[in-house]
Amino acid sequence: MKLKTAYMGEVEIETKNILKFEHGIPGFEKEKGFVLLPIEENSIFQVLQSVRTESLAFIITSPYAITENYNLELDESIIRALEIKNENEVAVFAIVSLKDTLDNSTANLKAPIILNTTNKKAKQLILDKQAYSIRHQLSLESTKG
Amino acid sequence: MLVLSRKVGETIWIGEDIEIVISEVKGEQVKIGIRAPRNIEVIRGELRKDISDSNTEAVIKDLDLFKNMKK
Repeated sequence: MKLKTAYMGEVEIETKNILKFEHGIPGFEKEKGFVLLPIEENSIFQVLQSVRTESLAFIITSPYAITENYNLELDESIIRALEIKNENEVAVFAIVSLKDTLDNSTANLKAPIILNTTNKKAKQLILDKQAYSIRHQLSLESTKG
Repeated sequence: MLVLSRKVGETIWIGEDIEIVISEVKGEQVKIGIRAPRNIEVIRGELRKDISDSNTEAVIKDLDLFKNMKK
């Protein structure tokens, strides 16, 4: 299907690649479908584009690329919600808040997006008990890509 | 919104498997116990609001930053 995007014009996407957020994400509860679009080759950043709202898109990255020792334990609620059977099918992303420069930009390590790459079910998980920052500055550690 | 008055030790059931217990009231603070299946996520309202605010703030306004990097 063709999808109009906020910043990349019209792109061709496959329905099977639509990530399914059953309850949306906090603040955007009605947004239940997103697709991942590459910004450029080999970049650690990707665009998370809403399927429903053309103007709605986020930048996401791997939390492991921007911080050392990111330890994530998936509890039973997320394992059940996403029907995760095997840890190899799990992908983890952090939403990036762009500022004037990449160094000043921040990533939300407190509420990573967890994706089951097999069935494409996804959810923004809130890590209540862990001391990760909602606004982790990218410049604090070296960024690649 | 449904509003119920409860005393310490009294409970409220939500559906068949969520039980809310008023465990202590001290001045302005209320301690609430929640007994729910492990697949039910329980999050404090202000934390959910912080995440919601952060998501709203993260909506892309433009991709100039990346366009400039390519140059």
